Amino acid sequence: MLDRLTLSMRASHVLAALLVVAALVLAVVGSAIGDTFYLRLATEALIFAGLALSVDLLLGYSGALSLGQALYFGIGAYTSALVLMKVPSFWLAMGAAAGMTFVCAIIGGLIANRVRGVYFALITFGLAQVVAKVVYNIRDLGASDGMIGIPVIDIGIGPFSVSAGNPVGFFLVVLVIIMALYAATAYLLDTPFGRVLTALKANEKRVPFLGYSVWRARMVCYLAAALIAGLSGALYPMLRGFVSPELMFFMTSGNAVISVILGGVGTLVGALYGSVFLVIIKSVIGSWTDHYLIIIGLLFMAGVLFMPKGLIGFVRPHVERMIAPRHLRETRAPEQDAPLKAEEVKP
Amino acid sequence: MNALDYLQFVLAPQVVNGLALGVAVVLVALGLTIIFGLLDVINMSHGEFYAVGAYLALALGAAHIDFWLLIVLVPVLMLPLGMVTERLLIRPVFNTKDRHVTTLLVTFGLALIAEDVLKLIFGPNTQRPPTPIPGASEIFGIILPNYRLFLIAIGAVIVAGVAFVVYRTRLGAMVRAAAYDRNMAASLGVPVSLVYSGTFAFGVALAGLAGVLLAPIYSIFPTMGRDFILLAFTVVIVGGMGSIWGAVVAGLLLTQVQALASLVISPVWTDPIVFGTMVAFLVFRPQGLFGRLGHA
Amino acid sequence: MKIRGYKVVLAAALAATALSGPAFAADPIKVGVVTPSTGTFAPIGQQVRWALELAAKEINAAGGIMGRPVTLIVEDEETTPAAAVQKAEKLFQVDNVDFLTGTVNSGATLAVGQLAERNKKLATTSVSFADSITADKCSPNVFRVNARAGQQSAALAAWLLKQKPKAKIYYLGPDYEMGRSTVAAFKANAEKLGAQSVGEVFAPNDSKDYTQFFGQIRAARPEVMYISVAGNDTARLLTQMQDFGLLNSLQVVGASGTITSANMGALGAAANGFATGAGYSPQIDTPENKKFVADFRAAYKVDPDLYGADSYGTLYAYKAAVEKAGSTDTDKVRAALEGLTWNTPQGPKTIRAGDHQAMQPMYVVRINNGKFDIIDKVSAEDAIGPDTCTRF
Repeated sequence: MLDRLTLSMRASHVLAALLVVAALVLAVVGSAIGDTFYLRLATEALIFAGLALSVDLLLGYSGALSLGQALYFGIGAYTSALVLMKVPSFWLAMGAAAGMTFVCAIIGGLIANRVRGVYFALITFGLAQVVAKVVYNIRDLGASDGMIGIPVIDIGIGPFSVSAGNPVGFFLVVLVIIMALYAATAYLLDTPFGRVLTALKANEKRVPFLGYSVWRARMVCYLAAALIAGLSGALYPMLRGFVSPELMFFMTSGNAVISVILGGVGTLVGALYGSVFLVIIKSVIGSWTDHYLIIIGLLFMAGVLFMPKGLIGFVRPHVERMIAPRHLRETRAPEQDAPLKAEEVKP
Repeated sequence: MNALDYLQFVLAPQVVNGLALGVAVVLVALGLTIIFGLLDVINMSHGEFYAVGAYLALALGAAHIDFWLLIVLVPVLMLPLGMVTERLLIRPVFNTKDRHVTTLLVTFGLALIAEDVLKLIFGPNTQRPPTPIPGASEIFGIILPNYRLFLIAIGAVIVAGVAFVVYRTRLGAMVRAAAYDRNMAASLGVPVSLVYSGTFAFGVALAGLAGVLLAPIYSIFPTMGRDFILLAFTVVIVGGMGSIWGAVVAGLLLTQVQALASLVISPVWTDPIVFGTMVAFLVFRPQGLFGRLGHA
Repeated sequence: MKIRGYKVVLAAALAATALSGPAFAADPIKVGVVTPSTGTFAPIGQQVRWALELAAKEINAAGGIMGRPVTLIVEDEETTPAAAVQKAEKLFQVDNVDFLTGTVNSGATLAVGQLAERNKKLATTSVSFADSITADKCSPNVFRVNARAGQQSAALAAWLLKQKPKAKIYYLGPDYEMGRSTVAAFKANAEKLGAQSVGEVFAPNDSKDYTQFFGQIRAARPEVMYISVAGNDTARLLTQMQDFGLLNSLQVVGASGTITSANMGALGAAANGFATGAGYSPQIDTPENKKFVADFRAAYKVDPDLYGADSYGTLYAYKAAVEKAGSTDTDKVRAALEGLTWNTPQGPKTIRAGDHQAMQPMYVVRINNGKFDIIDKVSAEDAIGPDTCTRF
């Protein structure tokens, strides 16, 4: 039977499909008028949307706020860069980035998953900070200057080949990958395992009684999120041709968190929309003032205080009503954690 | 270098200078730990309140207000700012399930804005108020500026004062009661809501005071708030949430570890050591050295 | 105060339609500026922007470049390479600028240089001084109009060892690539001239407290201390040294970015006596410089610093090159820039063809109550050092 969780997930998928359509329109229009910049900017927005997606998987589905998710984005980017400079193979770079991120995430997860709540936030923050500082000082990784000279590669997909230097081609490749990551995440959440995660967020103490290991569930979630961040990061040097330690700094993690809040926590698709939205407001507001951080900060706080589901919160209920079967249509589509809100929690 | 030289020139100054830095860290961490201990709020904008205090001192100092008056005036001016912040940003989300995360996010947003507002008003350049107490003293061949000696002394006075208020007065008893069990405290007639915003404002005022006191040593610039924050968080976690003695011991200990470690390894690696200590505590002794406020 | 995107987009659109045909006399020549207005380097970006605006105004008042006006399109570098590259791509692709300058962060300069190469455009920096930009990581599309770390060290070391032969020197640098390379460059130059190195320490970037190093420094009993920290770090280091009485017995010298107008206010008397090898001082006694300083002060109420002077000179280098080439075409302008000699407030500069590094006379300047007094001068040829660029 179709329950409300599935319903809101389906509504998210509709919105995701809408995003793909918009992206395809952009691709068609962009290639028709011979644009390069906007297509590549949109590609970058999608890459960072992948990072936001990973933050949302953690925050929205296991309630763990990561303030250092850029760590895995950076590990993916550096691994991919190092591989591409030796062997210009897309698949090898993606595979190496995934492997490296996975190994690092096991170590990071063992540390971070010992704790919960704000402690988790502080640990992830500190972990990213320390690793970024180390990279900043390692000469073989280009130290503070980062590494340039990552070649423009050809991406072989079966019999076809797309150059990463082709704005439309690479945009579509990135679109496919990011949407695949989105679909994989949605699939993961739809499995029984995903339901355990949701249950965890609602009430962690009862989950063990149902026979599930809380630790294992959170660890799997952490690893999946790290992989998403790492794979997204692996695309960055293909687009820009360089990596720099700033990719791991707090601002990168912070931007991902801002994207998720603006788009809507726990909606998955909100992370994608939020990331695109952030790029747009940054370039619009940034074109008339240097003090755009004030405005982004205000929007962000308004999001946290008044719009728990961000932009998606405005749109998705309508979509849900449109696609809902009759037995769910009578009542208003629910806010996922609305009933929990009233619950008084002791410090 | 012979052993005596090493002792006089390297080891002893390292310990003494580490002490002054330790007092600075304790001053910044004090407000943070009180807010965390009582309200369970990780105040990500604590560093920016510290910066606001420093800039207030700079602006008022430029209007020829005496430094000694500023030590009192700036914290008093910070109180309403703290009150308003608590009412507008913390209170509305305080009773939600994810309040740890939500309040952290809200204060993160506030930090973003505050940093940019400071830059808008005061410009991006580094500034510094004149040293209130110039000159240096030499004790057993160790040179120490008089202002640092003063900082160590006033730091001790402030810590003792705060500890007295929290542990020895009726007001402090209310705060500790509210931290232990707010419902019980409320039923005993403690004005919990007022205690909460009062405590938050108190923590903010302490941050401002730290700003006034530390500006002559560490200079003033819009991003100064990020400076102490990781170290201060570490101090709070290692010391125990809300524990004043915990903050003092952890602050002094961690800065000594940093100072002495930098003699044997490259100073760059002292940050990972401090962070490693935080991780070790979170994993093996999450309640910190002294346990949390109201529970110990 | 700022020239921002909007106004210029229209001009850009107009120019884009004209690209296929011959250039009309009234088409503006567009110069892209990617420089930080947010982040740690924001104070430097301000000087860069002001100086370029001043130069553009003067050039336009005098009839532009080949009768075409110059338009600046300014974007925020945000002090990170990722943002710099994104903005630079907008300038190259959307605004179709002919020439780009302004990057500060040396990682950003390298990344933007690579982008320029891939877009077949030209980029310059007037600020970054990492040697690598015109050495092992040089690019045929990148020029540097300011002095690199090696040039600064050569001038400073020559003066220092004249004053104090066999000086005992202690080095303190920030612990990252730039800090280590500036210290290494100065150390090599100074030791060659007979200096004695008595110790070195690398402090983390953004250190709060430098006092933990003071014991080691006193124990080493140096006569001279070389520092290459910057910005807020300099303010902290030097005022803390002053508080500890270390400045009384030590001659402090350092990299040219160590003290600028951005931290001078915080330093106060702690900056007095600091000497550095720099490509510029507002005190340079030439008519060109006096006019430049007066105009700059009239427009922005502050003195130009070395970043301002170098950025100002950049636009005039571009003007000279375009007029020599008779075109804004990348290959022709590149050829014109190679070996170009032109006049700047700092005196004549020449761009070395082999590595695209500007050669210029270097000054040793000493700070005296907020002023950069010139105390020595080294000729361009003596300061430049070997050409190690092998890519073109």
